[in-house]
Amino acid sequence: MIVEVSHFLSLLATGLFFLVGSFALLTKPSAYISNLITRTYSHGFLFLIASFSIYVWLAITDNFSVQYIASHSNSQLPTFYKISSIWSAHEGSMFLWIVFLSLWGFIFNITIKNEQILKSNTIGIISLILVGFLLFLLITSNPFQTILPIAPLNGADINPVLQDPALAIHPPTLYLGYVGFVIPFACALSFLINGDPGIKWESLIQKWSVAAWIFLTIGITLGSWWAYYELGWGGYWFWDPVENVALMPWLAATAFIHSLSVSIKSSNLRIWTILLSISVFSLSLFGAFIVRSGIIDSVHSFANDPERGLYLLAFIGIIIVSSMSLFVAKLSIIKPSKTIKRFSKESFISINNIFFGALIFSVMLGVTYPLIYEFLFDQKISVGAPFYNAIFIPMVILACIFMFFSIDSKWSRSLNFHFFIAPISLSVISSIITTLLISYIFDTSNLAILISLFAGFIVVYRYVIEIMNSFFMKKYLNPFSAIAHFALGLLIISISFNSLLSSERALNIKINEFEEYKDLKIFFKDIKVLKNSNHDSIEATFVLENQKGRTFDLSPEKRRYFTRGQITTETAIFIMPLKDIYMTIGDQLDDGSWIVNIQINYLIRWIWFSAGLMAFAGMVLMFSKRNI
Amino acid sequence: MNPIRKKRIYSILFVLLFSVSGISLILYSLNSNLDYFFTPTELKKQNIPSDKRIKLGGMVLKGSVEREASEISFVVTDYENSLRVIYDGIVPDLFKEESGVVVLGFYRDDMIYAEEVLAKHDENYMPPNLDIKNDS
Repeated sequence: MIVEVSHFLSLLATGLFFLVGSFALLTKPSAYISNLITRTYSHGFLFLIASFSIYVWLAITDNFSVQYIASHSNSQLPTFYKISSIWSAHEGSMFLWIVFLSLWGFIFNITIKNEQILKSNTIGIISLILVGFLLFLLITSNPFQTILPIAPLNGADINPVLQDPALAIHPPTLYLGYVGFVIPFACALSFLINGDPGIKWESLIQKWSVAAWIFLTIGITLGSWWAYYELGWGGYWFWDPVENVALMPWLAATAFIHSLSVSIKSSNLRIWTILLSISVFSLSLFGAFIVRSGIIDSVHSFANDPERGLYLLAFIGIIIVSSMSLFVAKLSIIKPSKTIKRFSKESFISINNIFFGALIFSVMLGVTYPLIYEFLFDQKISVGAPFYNAIFIPMVILACIFMFFSIDSKWSRSLNFHFFIAPISLSVISSIITTLLISYIFDTSNLAILISLFAGFIVVYRYVIEIMNSFFMKKYLNPFSAIAHFALGLLIISISFNSLLSSERALNIKINEFEEYKDLKIFFKDIKVLKNSNHDSIEATFVLENQKGRTFDLSPEKRRYFTRGQITTETAIFIMPLKDIYMTIGDQLDDGSWIVNIQINYLIRWIWFSAGLMAFAGMVLMFSKRNI
Repeated sequence: MNPIRKKRIYSILFVLLFSVSGISLILYSLNSNLDYFFTPTELKKQNIPSDKRIKLGGMVLKGSVEREASEISFVVTDYENSLRVIYDGIVPDLFKEESGVVVLGFYRDDMIYAEEVLAKHDENYMPPNLDIKNDS
């Protein structure tokens, strides 16, 4: 049985990681020991990756004697989805998560050549975390369980909603991001254990943290894009608990990267940076707990199992308590450095961190408050978009205004406010004009949106000026920071326009009849029933014409899959540079007409583009030689 | 008091004041934006102002779905009490009679004016509070 080989290799890896962990943390550091640690870890990783590769191969070759594969894959699926079926449910997701965790450790292990002591302890801590997760996998959610004596012939089917390229890539990218923060976390702890404030662990892990942040950013963006076209609700963000637990590590990681740059440049905020590195990883683990335990009702929840939840909670508890006690015990090794000058770059980044902290606190409150409330008052409640909007809109606007002024600030030097220097006044004036124009053209007096637009525009204009200066005047511009912050401005503008202009309506329409919505003329041309290999579908065809006389077809579908009887909606989207025409089809009424939902979503692609641009900024930093 | 200590006390007071007011603002907006979840029986017992958004969970009563143009109306029941829901829009794929539904909306004149109708992406989904009653 090949699956037993795979199972055995995982057990072997667990044992080796345990050895690495105990050696690293219990023995006196020496060149011999650190060499041993490096080699043993690499072997552990090789065993684990071999185990996973065998598992992938089992999935590709339809080995349905493995229970997990039998219940989540099907012999009819294309190879790509056979592989992605591994992370379509709990056990396989956890397996992938662990493999990624060990992969980050492995790359760290082979690329870091100096800093031996710091490295040994870091690898040791990563190994112990790996042992904890591997035990969780093998004890509570074993993917290697077999079905005996007779294996099913064709397997089950993975949820059709999940058979989608974006969704096949979304979880791995997100996991790579989550577990990537194990590197700064383990490094911070190893720095504390070491107790030598002279070690510059911050510059060692800067690129590692940015790399993990890139994956997290892309992962969240992919999820948002997938939900938009696959679920048929339109929209890009629902403040669903599972989205929120991905947002929290992202916010913390972004704060961490900012604070990290202060610690590298001027040795300020070092204690705060360590605390943040612990928070980022803890929030990632908290996310895993929320999703895996099924404690919160959400579209994403996987099978609920109290045993799993309890184990994870205990494990996360141990990690947080031990890292926090280490933090408190060793806090004093970092000597308080010189005070931060008012209005220096450091002080602006501190303010930025306060904003991020408040946002994380609010999201955390929104996620956990329903649990606490139900426990205390036995009344179910939920926290929806209005709460998050009430918090995020004012805070992001304020943060943008601070950020706008921070562009002129210098390290360790106080900024002199010259409100009338060209770049500042130019961008403020043009933003005011743009905002007023928008208010006039679109006839709106929605203050929240107008002020958000203003905040977005000052940032974008300011950076446009800055970029032109760097081209024509050869003024130095940090490309990473410029692109990332420009993207933030663009993101805010896109989101504001999206909520200002987007609209939707449910129409009922008969075949061969016309309807009108906004500037669109909609003609219901055809409806037919299609039979496919694994589903039936009803496909409607509409011909739309806009005011300029441009016509296009949209064919929304409704599918019924045979294996689960599941009904899914296939949206039809016509993409234009500035807006999407988005259609879904509902039920047929007694008089023969059909209900269709039509949405016009403005700048929605720009939202994902801005997020992608942020990730790109991260890549620019990864490949730059210089530390920021 | 020496000036350094005095300065320090002021800055601590400032930070405290700042964070307390920040946290109370966040808690205030949390409290005014909560959606309470009720079953029809619970909802009828309470006195809900008509401008307070609530969530209603229950089963769609068999034979109660009526449509007129794009508007749909149906009865949500917990097998003790029932409430009629009016909604303008497309109901989700998994919406059907005798199956679980969660409605987000406003309670007026003994009816729910829905903003959103949710059915779980799981064929075995039951709204919370109902699964126990159904077993017995």
